Amino acid sequence: MASLLQQPILQRCSRIFSVLLVLLLLGWMTRPIEAPAWEVVKAGQPEMNLGAIEGALGQGLVVGMLGGFRAILADFLWIRTSTIWERRDRVKLDAMIRLVTTLDPRPDFFWINGSRMIAYDVPNWRIREEGGYDKVPELRQHALDLEQAEQAFDLIDEALEFHPGKAKLYLEKGQIYLNRLKDDANAANWFLKASQQADAPYFAARIYAELLRNQGKNEEAYVFLKELHNSLPNVPFAQKGIILERIRELENTLKIPLWQRFEADKSLGASESESQFNAAVPAPHQHEH
Amino acid sequence: MSPLDFCTRIRLIAGTTFLEAVRQKFFNSLLLISIALVGSSTFFQQFDFGAGELKFITDFGFGALFFFGSILSITATTQLFFNEIENRTALTMLAKPVYKLEFLAGKFLGAQLLMFCFTLVITLVLSGILYWRESALLDRLGDEVSLDGPLIRYGDVFLFGFLQWLKFGILAAITLFVASFSNTNLYTIVVSFFVLVICQLQYIARDAYSGMEAGWERLLVFGLGLIFPNFQLFNIGDQLVFDVEKALPASTVLQITCYGLIYAVVFILLAQVNFRRREI
Repeated sequence: MASLLQQPILQRCSRIFSVLLVLLLLGWMTRPIEAPAWEVVKAGQPEMNLGAIEGALGQGLVVGMLGGFRAILADFLWIRTSTIWERRDRVKLDAMIRLVTTLDPRPDFFWINGSRMIAYDVPNWRIREEGGYDKVPELRQHALDLEQAEQAFDLIDEALEFHPGKAKLYLEKGQIYLNRLKDDANAANWFLKASQQADAPYFAARIYAELLRNQGKNEEAYVFLKELHNSLPNVPFAQKGIILERIRELENTLKIPLWQRFEADKSLGASESESQFNAAVPAPHQHEH
Repeated sequence: MSPLDFCTRIRLIAGTTFLEAVRQKFFNSLLLISIALVGSSTFFQQFDFGAGELKFITDFGFGALFFFGSILSITATTQLFFNEIENRTALTMLAKPVYKLEFLAGKFLGAQLLMFCFTLVITLVLSGILYWRESALLDRLGDEVSLDGPLIRYGDVFLFGFLQWLKFGILAAITLFVASFSNTNLYTIVVSFFVLVICQLQYIARDAYSGMEAGWERLLVFGLGLIFPNFQLFNIGDQLVFDVEKALPASTVLQITCYGLIYAVVFILLAQVNFRRREI
């Protein structure tokens, strides 16, 4: 037995196992120090918190191996993507957009422009490949638009994993529904979602209300615009005057009695168009009923 | 063996190792390439589509520090170790009252001093470029923006450098550990690079482990997560420098520092266990 234990191979194996055991123990003992630090580090990097294992693996490899160089690599690949886009090679274009966004998911530029290429340009190429807008039936054109839009939506959904709450991405979905698919109802939903984000531009809510009007949902648009007008700050970018104009238009369309009409808070300081409108349509309290 | 003699011998070996390392062409060329790359980040910035100028330069500099630092840490440590073995100077040294642990600790500290110089130079160059671009940006914007403080927290650039230096320390210790049982330069470099890759990606295995059902696979992945140190812990560049809200708490920095020191010491001790048995 003793001579068996003296065998070089067994001695070597025992040394390897000893080292592994030491490292296991070390890993286990340092866990109380490492785990809380890791929680903090991980929380600050969205690409390390992906649900899907494929995404986590891809990002792990990129972040782990390229570190800060991933930005420049993604930039150079984006230039290459533009060349492929010019050549209208849709298969390569899709692969390149995936590659660039995997390499550096932090800038929203890649996600937004990638989704635009997929949703707006690729359907055009495909329709031309099939004979052009004159020959391809409208039903087929719409099917192609829908197919490409779905791919763009997948890309934007992926982008939202890295940029949760980014209004630009919600807006992009809304724009695709509105401009490419001519689907006002779905576009309205996404403009509403965009308007509810912290970094939402003021126009998102206004477009939502316009889309409601386009669908004939005038009452809903009227209620929404009134609430919007009250909630907006009194800054030029908020364009409260335009909102008030639209409220007045809706009041005329819906035939709202004068005494029930919306009264804008004058203390906020009405814009020029708002004052003009107020002059034309006297506020209810100026009348005796 | 008095502790004073022990420290003196380690200091002497570390000093000699450092001088030898600084004179190496490989170190000087790599340092020059890194400086040139960090310096040219403003040129590469024109190809940038996503991030802001300062963020791009910071990312680029941190990338250069990690990439070239890792290469230097592994190759320099390997070369410094094997030079002594191949030139037979280790025999002369160890024939004197110098213990193998002292020899290893001296080599490690010499390599770490070299990495300190490298990290310091790169962070200084990066800070200089950031300062230059920040000043240019503020001049351009003039009174358009009102700032509560500086755009860049320069302390964070050095904090990142310090944490990377700690990581290079673990890497150098791992390289010494591999060198302690390896017979060739090449084998040590290749294995150390593989270990670096595993350590960088170790966290993915841990994430997978947390989502797995009980079984031997779970045990295996759990074991892998424990055996290899988590290098991703040191990659905190995204959280530093710009975003005040994301700033790393001091307790976390302390925890990462302790983690790095413990691993470096344990790998040197493991290297010593192997090296003690080795015939030179």
